[in-house]
Amino acid sequence: MDCKLAVSLMHEYLDGDLLDEETDELKQHLAECSECRVAFKQLEQTDMLLFAVNHRKPPVSDELTARIMQSLPKSKQTHVWWTWLKRHPALTAAAAFFIILLGTLPLWNEGPEMIVKGTDLDQVVIEGNSVIVPEGRTIAGNLTIEKGQAKIYGDVEGNVTVIDGGIFQASTAHISGQVQSINQSVDWVWYKIANVFSEVASP
Amino acid sequence: MDNIETRLVKLALKGDQRAFAEIVELYKDKIFHLGYRMLSNRHEAEDVVQETFLRVYKNLDRYDQKQKFSTWIYRIGTNLCIDRLRKRKPSYSLDAELNDQDGTDGYALLPGDERTPESEYLLSETQQLIHQAIDSLPDKYKTVMVLRYLQELSLQEISEVMDMPVTTIKTRVHRGREFLRKKLEPKL
Ligand SMILES: [Zn+2]
Repeated sequence: MDCKLAVSLMHEYLDGDLLDEETDELKQHLAECSECRVAFKQLEQTDMLLFAVNHRKPPVSDELTARIMQSLPKSKQTHVWWTWLKRHPALTAAAAFFIILLGTLPLWNEGPEMIVKGTDLDQVVIEGNSVIVPEGRTIAGNLTIEKGQAKIYGDVEGNVTVIDGGIFQASTAHISGQVQSINQSVDWVWYKIANVFSEVASP
Repeated sequence: MDNIETRLVKLALKGDQRAFAEIVELYKDKIFHLGYRMLSNRHEAEDVVQETFLRVYKNLDRYDQKQKFSTWIYRIGTNLCIDRLRKRKPSYSLDAELNDQDGTDGYALLPGDERTPESEYLLSETQQLIHQAIDSLPDKYKTVMVLRYLQELSLQEISEVMDMPVTTIKTRVHRGREFLRKKLEPKL
């Protein structure tokens, strides 16, 4: 056995992985080689010292646990929210919408585009930021306008909702549903929630 | 049958803060000593403990219960220590250093002010010498040596923590031991 192999076997011995026959071979080499005997003794002592140093460990700060617990994210509210959602799958869409809304709120006043939503949009006339329902025309459903003016001269067989805009109702106007004007983002959120929830609730 | 950690994890996942505090109690000392030995700095060690538990907390739902909890938390803690060591000093070739017969003085590589104020707790000269020797180990050897000797993990466990083959871990332990033997030689 050469010394290089002997050293390698010493490490295996210290790992507790040396087979009996290899141990015998190592012993035989150690008996013959004084250099390896010194190396083995040193390795064994190193090994023992390393384990022994373990018995003196620096004390751990007493308030460490408290500090760790305080450093954790404060509330589990989102988890509660999602758990609640999982139990009420029918509301998931509404809730997801709610979350998306909350996420987009800061952008509320940005972007000048007017948005018009409704069923019979071919019945409306759009001039600039005004949405006009001319006299004699009928919208068979809801009309929602964002960032625009509603000018109703004709009939709306549903709700008219204006968000960040205004409503003009002529004396000829007939609106069978509710008229709502929403100008604040908070109102908007509640409007959306109420709206989506009622959509979810209706078959 | 679930072991204690698995049960605590399940409770913590349901939002039980006391269960999580129990997990902290079980492992904070181990992770602190790991950090302390790896980084030789009490404050950094405490930071590592805090970061480790924060990660555990945030990733609790991703803990694979087929794996030992200790392996998982050691892996998180060890990786945080290695990251800090990496950021701390310029990289150099570990193998070159180990093979370099003249340049075995690893102390020069340690930034002086990061050295442990060992007076915090009384140590014998030999113990200080061992700590300094461990400190002077190149990072990849230091990690396995700390896990092996100070955390008393088996080679198999270290291989799971480090996600490396046992043979690689074995080689590193052998080389680390050889390095420390040479460092401690004058005292042996
Ligand atoms: Zn020999």
